[in-house]
Amino acid sequence: MKEGAGWIVVAGLTKRFGGVTAVDELSFTAAPGMVTGFLGPNGAGKTTTLRMLLGLVTPDAGTAAIGGRRYRDLPQPGRQVGAVLEAAAFHPGRSGRDHLLVYCTACGYPPARAAQVLEQVGLAGAGRRKVRGYSLGMRQRLALATALLGDPAVLVLDEPANGLDPEGIAWLRGLLRGYAGGGRTVLFSSHALAEVEQLADRVVIVSAGRLAGEGALAELAAGAAAVSVRTAHSSQLATAVATAGGRAERTGPGSLRVTGLAAAEVSRIARAHRIDLHELTAGHGGLEQVYLALTAATDREQSPSGQADRS
Amino acid sequence: MMRLIRAEVRKLATIRLWLWILLAAAAWTAGYTALAVGFSGRPGSLTLPLTGAAGQHALLAIGAGGAGPLVAILGAIGMTTEYRHRTAAATFLATPRRGRAVTAKLATCLLAGAGYGLLCDLLSLAVAVPWLAARGIHLPLAGNGNLAVLAAVIVSASVFAVAGAGLGALAGGQLATVTSLLIYLYVAEPLLTHIAALHDWTAYLPGVAADALTQATQAGVTLLAPWLGGIVFAAWAAALAAAGTLRTLRRDIT
Repeated sequence: MKEGAGWIVVAGLTKRFGGVTAVDELSFTAAPGMVTGFLGPNGAGKTTTLRMLLGLVTPDAGTAAIGGRRYRDLPQPGRQVGAVLEAAAFHPGRSGRDHLLVYCTACGYPPARAAQVLEQVGLAGAGRRKVRGYSLGMRQRLALATALLGDPAVLVLDEPANGLDPEGIAWLRGLLRGYAGGGRTVLFSSHALAEVEQLADRVVIVSAGRLAGEGALAELAAGAAAVSVRTAHSSQLATAVATAGGRAERTGPGSLRVTGLAAAEVSRIARAHRIDLHELTAGHGGLEQVYLALTAATDREQSPSGQADRS
Repeated sequence: MMRLIRAEVRKLATIRLWLWILLAAAAWTAGYTALAVGFSGRPGSLTLPLTGAAGQHALLAIGAGGAGPLVAILGAIGMTTEYRHRTAAATFLATPRRGRAVTAKLATCLLAGAGYGLLCDLLSLAVAVPWLAARGIHLPLAGNGNLAVLAAVIVSASVFAVAGAGLGALAGGQLATVTSLLIYLYVAEPLLTHIAALHDWTAYLPGVAADALTQATQAGVTLLAPWLGGIVFAAWAAALAAAGTLRTLRRDIT
């Protein structure tokens, strides 16, 4: 099914630059009908991964496919995949409209598409101005316009919210939502958790080139938030928690760290089993904690990927 | 492929560079043609008498000297601007088979070079023919083998443009490409060609082979026959284009 139209499948992708491993056996998917955020700190390998996905950088190992094919094997790639890689990637002396017309010509789209996408990204009035005079936000919109030229079924965007003001981000949100709502695939990268929370349904977290977590936003937040418990009957409680579908790990004599269950549920389980609790502390979940914990873990241990998958 | 060439022509036409190169080539050609005609026949003039075929060839070859290196710069900048302004990513997203994209750019340079060469031909005729006629010297288009020289200017400029673009694709950096091009053409090659002992060898250098095409006489420099010079120069350009294409296929666009 993941070979199907619109699916982005990255498997075991690896890229080394000199002695530095930028991307390390990274695997994840992005599904049609969804906005997938590709989240990670700067230097985590997001850009390299997206460039490998788009055939611009050759991987040392692994594959990246869109609809079951490598980008360079796609017939008429511009009609299937639209990409924004860098907002500043324009010739400063060329007008926005001429920039779009170059790609209309190269891909065989009618020249009228240039005006349509300029309208779509809110640059209709600035099309004839040289890119030299564009603000960062306008360049970002022009980059998006380029991606939209072929009316593609898959959007791949590298830091698309960079340089956008809050109004611009709200507009971007509407655009991406509309795209995903129509059954298309959106994969965008960001180093800012807040952006991902605003824009994405699902998140793939990468750190130091490795997968640090993958899942629905809410699911990740709930799954990784931990409840600390102290009790004299810790092994009994651990069993009860496991039966209820949570996970308990011993953090010291008589103390447990429970994940997968909310504090209220842990309390209810304890009372049902007549276990006295000496302490019950709800974890400060929140995606930020999760993000920091996940990326810190990979940074510190260089642990194998996939840990958070199980959460 | 036609689509890609049209896109490359559009790229070239939508930035100012083509105009500056055009003005520079026109100024060179008109200026030196005017000097050559104006000073010819005066005592101490270095130019050959313009009444003879050799003198007329040298006069009409001036356009190649101007257009050639300038369109090489045009080709070099046209290619490297993709990396300098990072538009290479968008180019190769539209055309993931990079060989096709590079071939389209090389073909566009070839066409542009031919256009600039033709323009320099027309300009040198426009300056020289009426001026010489006023002095009673006939400069026939078809006679004296002049047509061959005019055609050689066009061929020389097209090959120069391809060579410049090939070098640009190979080197990648814009400043490095243009600087090395200028240093080679105006410092390294003239130095080498002035070592008489190397003349059998220097005749095969790209710039000297290009001169052989038009038989543009440089005092004391050995030139190949026009056809051989053309083949040698084209071989240099083809080698640069092939190496540049190969480099483009392999490089990571980061």
